Amino acid sequence: MRITFVKKIKADGNPCRKCAEVQARLEKDGYIDKIDHTIIADERDENSEGMQLAKQHMVDRAPFFIVEHESGDTNVYTIYFKFVKEVLNGDTNEQDAAKDILDANPDLDYI
Amino acid sequence: MSTSEFNPERLANEYDSQSPESIIKLAFDSFDNIAISFSGSEDVILVDMATKIRSDVKVFSLDTGRLHAETYRLIEQVREHYSIEIDVLSPDTETVQDLVRTKGLYSFYKDGHKECCGIRKGVPLRRKLATLSAWITGQRKDQSPDTRDGVPVVERDAAFSTSDNNLIKFNPLSNWTSSQIWEYIRTNGVPFNALHEKGYISIGCEPCTRPVLPNQHEREGRWWWEEATQKECGLHSDNLKK
Repeated sequence: MRITFVKKIKADGNPCRKCAEVQARLEKDGYIDKIDHTIIADERDENSEGMQLAKQHMVDRAPFFIVEHESGDTNVYTIYFKFVKEVLNGDTNEQDAAKDILDANPDLDYI
Repeated sequence: MSTSEFNPERLANEYDSQSPESIIKLAFDSFDNIAISFSGSEDVILVDMATKIRSDVKVFSLDTGRLHAETYRLIEQVREHYSIEIDVLSPDTETVQDLVRTKGLYSFYKDGHKECCGIRKGVPLRRKLATLSAWITGQRKDQSPDTRDGVPVVERDAAFSTSDNNLIKFNPLSNWTSSQIWEYIRTNGVPFNALHEKGYISIGCEPCTRPVLPNQHEREGRWWWEEATQKECGLHSDNLKK
């Protein structure tokens, strides 16, 4: 299994806050060593590797994880707690999981 | 029907141009373990439509503890008007106390609304949905100009489904506009939130909701201080389209 972590540089050149938060959680939770590659999606450069991966996998949010299995199957995760649970067999607390869901689904603001 | 036999993609196409009442009927015909999410706003018409189809509808509301008095009054009015039970869900006391103790009562103005929403709304909602096979929401396509994927009238709920529970979400009002909602409210004498008479369109928690001016989008009445960072997580669509 090969895991790619894609994080974003915003159009103004600053790093994405959510991406930094997820990276900090990966480190705090002890999962950072499970990441094989970290790639930048630079909004100032549509040809940056991360932007191309987003296009290829039809992802419109960052950060996201690409998980390539030996079987050839590929899964993409935009919600950190789901990635941790389903790929790393780990767990996150309820508050973080709920916040991850809301972050990834702005339409839920209206529930 | 079990959720594994249900084909949301096919039904989303089939029902996309059908009335909200038809979509609610489809939901009730397909699932017994189903409930309506009622926020105390314009989604009140879901309750009106649903109770005309069957009397034993299950309704739940998320009481964040920060709602307007007018919203609490509407929830109570709806309970009495339709003679239904409303499951009013509260956040965990301890978690809210931790947030307030460490970050104060208005942390969302500085840190963004998602942390507070996660605690006061997200956790209780996630717990509730874990007990259901399907739910019905008042989400509409025209509510957020930033929503790229649209809101299908029925979908597998990718956010809240788990390995044990393939949750289905119905959005019967997806294709309706605000004017259609209000025509229905007036025509059918549906009780509504008194805040709408004071210029509010979208209604959430009191500190995070404000009235808007004529022709302002309803989104501008919610988390207005976050405008610059709302697209924080989005990958700029203009770039991705190229």
